Amino acid sequence: MDNKISQEKMAQLEWYITKHCLWQYNSRGWDRLIQNERILTKTKQILRGENAKDDDTTADRYYWSEAMSLQGAFKRYFPWVAEMSKEDIAQILDLLKERMDHTMVHASLNQELVKEKY
Amino acid sequence: MPYHQFKVSECIPERLHHAVDKGADEDLTDALPLGYLNTIPGTISERGCAYCGAKHVIGTPMKDVIHLSHGPVGCTYDTWQTKRYISDDGNFQLKYTFASDVKESNVVFGAEKMLKKNIIEAFKAFPQIHNMNVYSTCATALIGDDINAVAEDVMAEMPDKKIFVCNSPGFAGPSQSGGHHKINLQFLDQWVGTGEPEIYSKHVINYIGEYNIQGDQEIMRDYFLRMGIQILATFTGNGRFDDLRCIHKAQLNVLECARSAEYICDELRVRYGIPRMDIDGFGFEATADSLRKIGYFFGIEDKAEQIIAEEYARWKPELDWYAARLQGVKMCLWPGGSKLWHWSHMLKTEMGINVVSVYTKFGHQGDMEKGVSRCEPGTLAIDDPNELESVEAMYELKPDLIMTGKRPGEVAKKIRIPYLNVHGYHNGPYKGFEGWVRLARDIYNCVYSPAHSLVHLDISKDEIPTDKGFATRESLSDVNLSDEIKNSTELREYTGDYDPIPRLRKKLEENQYTFPDPVTGEWRQVPLETIKRGKIVDVE
Repeated sequence: MDNKISQEKMAQLEWYITKHCLWQYNSRGWDRLIQNERILTKTKQILRGENAKDDDTTADRYYWSEAMSLQGAFKRYFPWVAEMSKEDIAQILDLLKERMDHTMVHASLNQELVKEKY
Repeated sequence: MPYHQFKVSECIPERLHHAVDKGADEDLTDALPLGYLNTIPGTISERGCAYCGAKHVIGTPMKDVIHLSHGPVGCTYDTWQTKRYISDDGNFQLKYTFASDVKESNVVFGAEKMLKKNIIEAFKAFPQIHNMNVYSTCATALIGDDINAVAEDVMAEMPDKKIFVCNSPGFAGPSQSGGHHKINLQFLDQWVGTGEPEIYSKHVINYIGEYNIQGDQEIMRDYFLRMGIQILATFTGNGRFDDLRCIHKAQLNVLECARSAEYICDELRVRYGIPRMDIDGFGFEATADSLRKIGYFFGIEDKAEQIIAEEYARWKPELDWYAARLQGVKMCLWPGGSKLWHWSHMLKTEMGINVVSVYTKFGHQGDMEKGVSRCEPGTLAIDDPNELESVEAMYELKPDLIMTGKRPGEVAKKIRIPYLNVHGYHNGPYKGFEGWVRLARDIYNCVYSPAHSLVHLDISKDEIPTDKGFATRESLSDVNLSDEIKNSTELREYTGDYDPIPRLRKKLEENQYTFPDPVTGEWRQVPLETIKRGKIVDVE
């Protein structure tokens, strides 16, 4: 997929997350990176029709539930999501993960992200 | 996103980085207001103290507890009753407040003996209550009273009583938020894990950061029970002390107000491996998404979808009646902490309201991240404004209404802007599907109040129009509405009860809910007493 198009599509998905989701706002940077990684990876796997359950822990079930909710919303809001190839899904979701890590952690102005304890 | 310079604060340069104007093509990495910092000398903010945050916000919604402030009587009076965190068993926590009533002589000679006497006296006066929260205050923290030792002493003498000691004096943090943090972790350290609950469903949650303001918790409880989910405890609205001792046994923490209660969720995740799921219980889409997500977690998404369908069918035409009449209304959304991000996007998409400013008095930068993300470009976001800044913002933005607490609300009224109380609520509950319609109704009544329109007339100088006749809210709101909307047979005003909570309590009393057996998964009824007051076994 053309880079410009994938950026545009990624921006739409990012818009949805910023308006509707709360999982990306855990109060510490390391925690946010884990949230982004687990939830967006599983979302990508579900959209690509792959197994997204790693184990039987409640933690994994939680990440999977967020991912299920997110992929459903993506399809509702953006019909093009359901028509994309697996490669394109991967490309866009990887960009999205990169973008979320950037805005929510690496370039974040939130001074509490680096505090050690909750 | 440029920082916003208030004219009234030009003489306080530190204030500049506490407000931003959200730009069109900018994100959180461009600018973010500072937050959760000590109040700057020269500016008077509207915050509460750390004692207030611990006691008033988090502690006192616990319903079967004597709440005793160890300090001067004013501390307890000023944190009493104002938030309408009701309970379903008689509102003991609202009817009574207790103080050790520390005086000058106690400050000089110590107040521990008096505290012990007062604790015992309170327990004897209310023998049906077996739990107590004792809150330290500035005075007793400074004189070094050992409240924990007194509590241990009393519990040894009265073995059927339990006392939680909350050490969060007023000075222990920049704002009430410091108290939220302290009471979260202190309750966890002192009491969580000391009880073994009776598990009657395959699906078990804690509902965290929910304070049952005018029945919010009871609205959401109905949805959870309809899904067959056991609510082990609510932290803390309508919550029982004993249930809260058992929250380590849940499978999932459903977190509503992250600002006030994420700490206990995060620690439960670290210590007991219980996942934290943040939800939004305000707004149709947000509530539906939240129920759906919980449904996925337990594999009962069909139950969630059924509730969503029923609630949409019942309440959406009523929301839409108000939404048609609220399009373009300008609002300053100035709550305490979490509602600025719970509400800003849903107000826009589901009621057509333009939120022109968000503020938080005690929120952290994390709250502003959420709030700024969820509001539209052009919004003014302010951290911990002083009164003059609020007034300047209102004159500049000219909102149709302010949604805030009663102190800034009274200021708004004085400059003739109507306000809704979104701390203790006007006609809540506001949570869930029905609650969101009630909020839309309150906003509508506020904006289109014929009586309020009279405040714009100054009888000392304005000419009073005598040619205008009787006005109603509808005659004001429907001026520019299309006939299609005005004559719609589908849309309708709120048709629920004056107070929906008795209906929900009756439903609980009639025991209409079923739950899957924890072992077999078979759906069956559970005795009402078990749902309301499950047995707790003390453990070491």
